[in-house]
Amino acid sequence: MVKIYTTTYCPYCKMAKEYFTKKNVAFEEYNVENDEKALEEMVRKSGQMGVPVIEINGTIIIGFDREAIDEALEANK
Amino acid sequence: MPYELIIIGGGPAGVAAGIYAARKKMKALLITKDFGGQSINSSNIENFIGFKSISGLELAKLLEEHLRSFPEIEIKEGVLVSKIEKKDKLFQITDSAGGTYETKTVLITLGSSYKKLNVEGEKEFEGKGVFYCSICDAPLMKNKEVAVIGGGNSGLEAARDLLPYATKIYILEYTNKPKGDPITLERIMASGKVELITNAKTEKIGGQNLVEFLEYTNLLTGERKQLKVAGVFVAIGFKPNSDLVKDLVKLDQWGRIIVDHKTFRTSCEGIWAAGDITDTLYNQINPAIGDAIKAVLNIYDYLNSEREKN
Repeated sequence: MVKIYTTTYCPYCKMAKEYFTKKNVAFEEYNVENDEKALEEMVRKSGQMGVPVIEINGTIIIGFDREAIDEALEANK
Repeated sequence: MPYELIIIGGGPAGVAAGIYAARKKMKALLITKDFGGQSINSSNIENFIGFKSISGLELAKLLEEHLRSFPEIEIKEGVLVSKIEKKDKLFQITDSAGGTYETKTVLITLGSSYKKLNVEGEKEFEGKGVFYCSICDAPLMKNKEVAVIGGGNSGLEAARDLLPYATKIYILEYTNKPKGDPITLERIMASGKVELITNAKTEKIGGQNLVEFLEYTNLLTGERKQLKVAGVFVAIGFKPNSDLVKDLVKLDQWGRIIVDHKTFRTSCEGIWAAGDITDTLYNQINPAIGDAIKAVLNIYDYLNSEREKN
């Protein structure tokens, strides 16, 4: 399961979502701008507040890091 | 068969170069991690000629689409160049995925990236209140007081991105006057939320788990002061991404590639550079595009004259 924590205008969040779409990977998006529960969850999991934060089956990736995403997806195939 | 030209970098300069290389039907390859360069961090660009207003990400998409409309140019996306080596009259380029390519000429348009403050607490609190991408992280500062470091255009834009969220925005400028465009400064000052602090040298960022305060010295009085802020947005400019070529071409004291400003040749025959990575006076999208185009046209002339020699 892929989760992505975003804010509305963050370019790297959009790039990450497009990357998942291109790879045919389904994801759930949590916009932390207006969702305090999601924001808390994101800070707890990643230990920081910057977006995007991506969770791939428990693996936390901070930022849009294509190589880390590929690796986590590969490991969870 | 080696390439005639390899362009490294997919910001506005690299894309412009790619389009001109394609139209000249050069055997060319463009290698980039992403398209758009640092302009994708801009929420709203109002000085890109022909567009009253466009977001950095939209601009990046238009640039990429324009480039991809030319089948003449090869594109390798998603990798970084890890090595450039000169081999006789050719250059061998290696990418982060292990691919290698040979080329007669190289154009470097790798731009620059965020400069760090290098003060106590900056690294420790990165992502925990210290941010570099205002358009990404400004929404996390809802109902909070924040500081923006730097009064240049990127600092003023960070303040603008924060206006809908933060209750109070301090802009700390090291000199006695912010260097950003007066039109942006006027707009953000009109909000009544912004306080400009000049002659301010940031000393320390601190807090428990997240940022709680910032300390600075007033350079006129020598007095050290504290601001209670939950966020510090660092916008003190950019440093050139020139590590890759530091042993190949001459750099200036700030690490920028020294170029001839008519031809955009570097100190190494066969390597050109354009855009923010060079010792240009003005770091702007429009001139970066123009410089890159002049570089490609000069490369085209160079390749022709080399052919005539043989």
